[in-house]
Amino acid sequence: MMMRESLGDKTFGVVNNILLILFSLSCLLPMVHLIALSFSSQSAIVSGQVGLWPVGSTMQAYEKLFENSRILTAFKNSVIITIVGVALNLLFTILCSFPLSRSYMYGRRFFTLAIVFTMLFSGGLIPGYLLVKSLGLVNTYGAIWLPGLVSVYNMLVMRTFFMGIPEELVESARMDGGGEWTVLFRIFLPLSLPVIAALGLFYGVGHWNAFFNMLIFIHSPDKHNLAVMVQQMIMSQSIMQEIGNLSPEDFKTITPESIKSAGIIVMVVPMLLVYPFLQKYFIKGMLIGAVKG
Amino acid sequence: MFKSRRFQYNIPLFIMFAPIIAYFLIFKFAPMGGLVIAFKNYNFTDGIWGSSWVGLDHFRTLFTNPNMLNILRNTLVLSFLQLVLGFPFPILLALMINEIRRSWFKKTVQTAVFFPHFLNWVIVGGIVITIFAQETGIINNIMRWLTGDSYPFLYNTGSWLAIFIGSGIWKSAGWGAIIYLAALAGVDQSLYEAAGLDGANRLRQIWHISLPSIRPVIFIILILSIGSIMEVGFDQVYMLQNSAVSQIADVISTWNYRVGITGGRFSLAAALGFFESIIGLILVLTANSIARRFNNGLW
Repeated sequence: MMMRESLGDKTFGVVNNILLILFSLSCLLPMVHLIALSFSSQSAIVSGQVGLWPVGSTMQAYEKLFENSRILTAFKNSVIITIVGVALNLLFTILCSFPLSRSYMYGRRFFTLAIVFTMLFSGGLIPGYLLVKSLGLVNTYGAIWLPGLVSVYNMLVMRTFFMGIPEELVESARMDGGGEWTVLFRIFLPLSLPVIAALGLFYGVGHWNAFFNMLIFIHSPDKHNLAVMVQQMIMSQSIMQEIGNLSPEDFKTITPESIKSAGIIVMVVPMLLVYPFLQKYFIKGMLIGAVKG
Repeated sequence: MFKSRRFQYNIPLFIMFAPIIAYFLIFKFAPMGGLVIAFKNYNFTDGIWGSSWVGLDHFRTLFTNPNMLNILRNTLVLSFLQLVLGFPFPILLALMINEIRRSWFKKTVQTAVFFPHFLNWVIVGGIVITIFAQETGIINNIMRWLTGDSYPFLYNTGSWLAIFIGSGIWKSAGWGAIIYLAALAGVDQSLYEAAGLDGANRLRQIWHISLPSIRPVIFIILILSIGSIMEVGFDQVYMLQNSAVSQIADVISTWNYRVGITGGRFSLAAALGFFESIIGLILVLTANSIARRFNNGLW
């Protein structure tokens, strides 16, 4: 960096930075626009005045949304699905990757190959659907949690990490009379907290965003999560009627756009809140995975 | 042998592993066996094993149906465009981010461009529909202000296609860049210094140092993307499609959902799923064996 940069390199740096700023803005501004819409008054939205800042600011859209719709139930369902789902995912991912990381496991190569094969070939939608149906899991969250219990990719990431833990630590635990469970719980898990956090984040985002499986397996509206509910709101041609209990006054203050934007924001806010804190973990998680590909 | 140390170690390992074996057998391998219904006339009363065999009838029905050819074509076109236009973006983005000198700026850019990955298609679709709406969307508001005219972006096949591909790139480019960034972080910095002393400018350094050092990763990602060329994600199409563009938007995944799940024609939909899975497998294996000739294979 001590070298003087040539004019060409300087120009390159400036152009590069400008392009990156533009792309970064394009990733964030649509969200800002939706936040602005959700807080804007009907007249401002209809006349097209809303850009990145609310015009005629009002909380009406949120008030009506929370008063008159199932959004609180859906929010609660999303939280339950995510928390229980992540716990199950992590437990089974650990139980799968620990044995497969031990060189002395019988049939290790065979089991690893069989599991990796499921990444390359699968029964597809219909047999999977019929299986869940025949197990009686339709309209229960079991249909959401069980079919994706272990993500093979995440499992391989954790296995790679486990294999990097020094063998001496295992030996010393053995000296003290510890068995495999002790090795796993006392040595491996405390050392793997960053990976567990990263994988927990990946699984958690997946469950929070769960849409397709909810659509095909969960039929009762009171069991729907935010994704399905917000999707129905977005697609609805008559959202104002469905939301119910609107006085003629309300039609002057809120619009379908503000209600729909408010629904989207409710679903994104929890993600926005945890995102900055978890960022360092998911980058770490991706890097561990990238070492072995 | 049963007294051996190794055997003793393996008992607890297999106690841990037993639920995993059960899980993969039930939820992964059993559905592969369930694919036999593609060759049967499945109905609920007879079950998978009781239903009668029909051989290749379902496949014949599929491939003589002109509508199906349309769906296969749509799937291949959308997915090919996604691959060709979407594949270079994460690489370009990673190379550009790697050129940033100030670390706070680098962090900020990364935070921003990774973000869309965490939104699902319901949200991204909602954003797209809101922004491009003809009456109230902000893009058309701006266009009306500039030209006095509006345009039905989502109801015209050409612009719909651009929005479909563009929204996919917007959502996944940042996340896709992470793996290249990781590879770039491992490049020996003295190479750049040496090249700089030899008078190579930054573009030349990217071309001769950065790009070659991430070539293995590029191959891996390419192989995996080629394997999924028969897949166009359900959620994206489901959120963005409308009746005006169904001629180009109906793909395998949406057809499978409509005919199989909601229409109850399980055997026919399973036959299409089987075809899709087999092609995917063949493509991955072929791509890998080609990459292996250049010593860049996945296995």
